[in-house]
Amino acid sequence: MGGDPLLSAPSDTLGVGDRVELAFPARGDLVVLARLVTSAISARAGFDIEELEDLRLAVGELCLLALQGSDRRHGDLRLEFRVSTDSIDISCTLEGAAPALTARTADGLEAEQLSEQILSALVDEHGREQQDASARAWLRKRRKGPAA
Amino acid sequence: MVEQHFQIEERSANGVPVILVEGEIDVATAPQLRECLHSVIAQGNATIVLDLLGVSFLDSTALGVMVGALKRCRELGGELHVVVTETRIKKIFEITGLDRVFPISDSLDRAKV
Repeated sequence: MGGDPLLSAPSDTLGVGDRVELAFPARGDLVVLARLVTSAISARAGFDIEELEDLRLAVGELCLLALQGSDRRHGDLRLEFRVSTDSIDISCTLEGAAPALTARTADGLEAEQLSEQILSALVDEHGREQQDASARAWLRKRRKGPAA
Repeated sequence: MVEQHFQIEERSANGVPVILVEGEIDVATAPQLRECLHSVIAQGNATIVLDLLGVSFLDSTALGVMVGALKRCRELGGELHVVVTETRIKKIFEITGLDRVFPISDSLDRAKV
């Protein structure tokens, strides 16, 4: 037997070990792309509708955190989705953008705090790192039900 | 270009400005909301009703804009009333604690001041 794994795998699911990447110019009007892809991937990874909505909002916040404090005009946002047995790991990395020349505004700091609050409420783990021209924010959300 | 539904409209009810928003308020569209709120406040309105009944998504950027407008309204002795019924949207106010900061109503009638 041993047919083509591409043909034998269910076409509408993502299984353990599957990884998806999405990269796009670091522009606010394109963050909607990250949310759309997150909905599709979360559904295929077996998350229910409530979890899917949580992930959609959380990924938008990851993008915002990655964009915070950087000159986003020349960078790219790269999202990586990894499905594991009981969870999904999503990271968002801003690449190729220089640190912002101006200090963060009070509004920016407030929005950052709100992002952190939203992520803390919606996902199981989250964090972020900054290194030179690269900023990365990540999350892990565990599935309530069984894997797809 | 990615299509994203967003519409903003300014009305008046019993002399109180009502800003009606539809669609998704995020980092891309929140500046339009900020501009509209600032414009209404700059016209001398200290109290505003923000109708979010047609909003399907909002993020921290949108909340930041609303908090900024709320502060300006209160400095002028007024208030920013929020009208919302969608469970997902209300949940975002709850998890950030902003449901205790904004006066939130489930209909325009109840928000009338």
